[in-house]
Amino acid sequence: MSRLFANGLLKLRRRDFLKAATIATAAMGLPVTMVDKVTAALESPKRPPVIWLHFMECTGCTESLLRTSHPDVATLILDLVSLEYHETLMAAAGHQAEENLKRAIEKYRGEFICVVEGGISTKDGGIYCKIGGRTALEILQHVGSEASSIIAIGTCAAFGGVQAAAPNPTGAVGVRDIIKDKPIINVPGCPPNGYNILATIVYILTFKRPPDVDALGRPKFAYGRRIHDHCERRAHFDEGRFVEQFGDEGHKKGYCLYKVGCKGPVTYANCPTQRFCDAGVWPVAAGHGCIGCTEPNFWDQMIPFYEHVPGVEVPSGQGIVGKAERIGKFAIGAAAAGIAIHAAAGAIKKATTKEKEE
Amino acid sequence: MVLYRRVKIWSVLLRIFHWTFALSILVLFVTGYYIHNPFALGPWEGSPTNFLMAKVRYVHFLAGYFFIAALLLRFYLLIFGNRYERFTDFIFLRPRNIPRLFHTIKAYLYLGKHESYGGHNPLAGTIYLLVLLMSVAMALSGLYMLYPEGGLWASAGFSIFKTQQMARLFHYFLFWIYLVFVMFHLYLVVWNDIFGDEGLISGIFSGRKFLPAKKG
Repeated sequence: MSRLFANGLLKLRRRDFLKAATIATAAMGLPVTMVDKVTAALESPKRPPVIWLHFMECTGCTESLLRTSHPDVATLILDLVSLEYHETLMAAAGHQAEENLKRAIEKYRGEFICVVEGGISTKDGGIYCKIGGRTALEILQHVGSEASSIIAIGTCAAFGGVQAAAPNPTGAVGVRDIIKDKPIINVPGCPPNGYNILATIVYILTFKRPPDVDALGRPKFAYGRRIHDHCERRAHFDEGRFVEQFGDEGHKKGYCLYKVGCKGPVTYANCPTQRFCDAGVWPVAAGHGCIGCTEPNFWDQMIPFYEHVPGVEVPSGQGIVGKAERIGKFAIGAAAAGIAIHAAAGAIKKATTKEKEE
Repeated sequence: MVLYRRVKIWSVLLRIFHWTFALSILVLFVTGYYIHNPFALGPWEGSPTNFLMAKVRYVHFLAGYFFIAALLLRFYLLIFGNRYERFTDFIFLRPRNIPRLFHTIKAYLYLGKHESYGGHNPLAGTIYLLVLLMSVAMALSGLYMLYPEGGLWASAGFSIFKTQQMARLFHYFLFWIYLVFVMFHLYLVVWNDIFGDEGLISGIFSGRKFLPAKKG
């Protein structure tokens, strides 16, 4: 399989290889002295077999890896590992592809890393996502039970993603809701940063164990800190300089996007330091607030994207939808009205009943 | 002629709690609303800096610690305070308090005569207990947002609120509930001072209320 990428590998110069290895080392939060160890692990001829599964998703995670302007990240990842099955990249199709999957599982039972991209449908027996006649649920349970560890790439595989947004018609969930007995590393993001994917794989190769993860299973080296605390616009936040609306003077000057709904203060990711693409940009640098794509249920909790707090559904059964602020103002108004009526009643009572003065 | 005696109800600690709590809530309201919606902007680039948001947040955190200190003091007094301050005095589940609860509601609806029980009436006491619980939620969500990256508050906050965004929503939503509570509280205090005869408002300064002399 990996022979497909042989041409790509030849293009990867030594200089680029070392550069990428250094970036991955930095992404893991390791000192520069570790670069040698990481490089040695990457050069080891023994490559771990990987089975890459696609479920309910847009393939954006794979696409974002492949569409780099020069082939560093994708080539490195795909050549670090022996890719046995990847629906987007493999030449085989149909029964041949299914045959490949079956053979890879038999050959590398208990050794291979399973990479999952996309959410898994669970409703009605998982019939809303089927590949080769089997549901995504069956495939994941089968392949996952034979894997040594699982890496869930992207928010869909980690937490269910967009198809898990309310009302979640297909009952979509993330890998962690189905497989309970394997180490699962979540690399969420929509899409996740390619270097975070690379660093996660490199970490396993270098240290022979999965990286430390937070309570949501995300590697701490990449998801340990909030975006807000490393943001290049943080000084403007502390100074109280905000973009009032897109395109205004503050926006042109690059002020803080807090008031136009940036979710940086509530989102854990290393976007401000790791950045995306070769140009080293990320949404806030480009003038758009963070939408919180590495957090669970972000399609439900982070909307509206251009406002501060989410719309909330009051659990009254009848679906009164309103914002916290609207409900709060209504409560204040109702309380004020109640107080006014009560006080008026008291005043009338005082006026109509003569009180005995002692 | 009704005779009164002046009885000490609220200890010094309780009065310290009340005013620390009240003033910290006032500061937290103003600074918290600014943090939610920075209506006054800092200076444009080029003019002398003042770090408005950073300062407001600093004051908010400081007031938050006073709020938590006051909260802890009240929880101490709920158990170890004097007979009027303990939760057993005013919790409405107590058999003695059930008729008192209905009596209080009737008095508030102008259907009965106002009566003084010394400490909190069971209705107010129940609401105060709920407010204390709400304050715990407020403190926990605040601490989770203040210490997001590991340690006790991050793990406690995660197990309760999951994401930071949910903690933030909770924190903001409770702000409005507090506002409603403060409105009712101030109104009913004044109402009680007018319709009752125990001198409720001066009581929270002096710690003393006027109770009818005939009662033991």
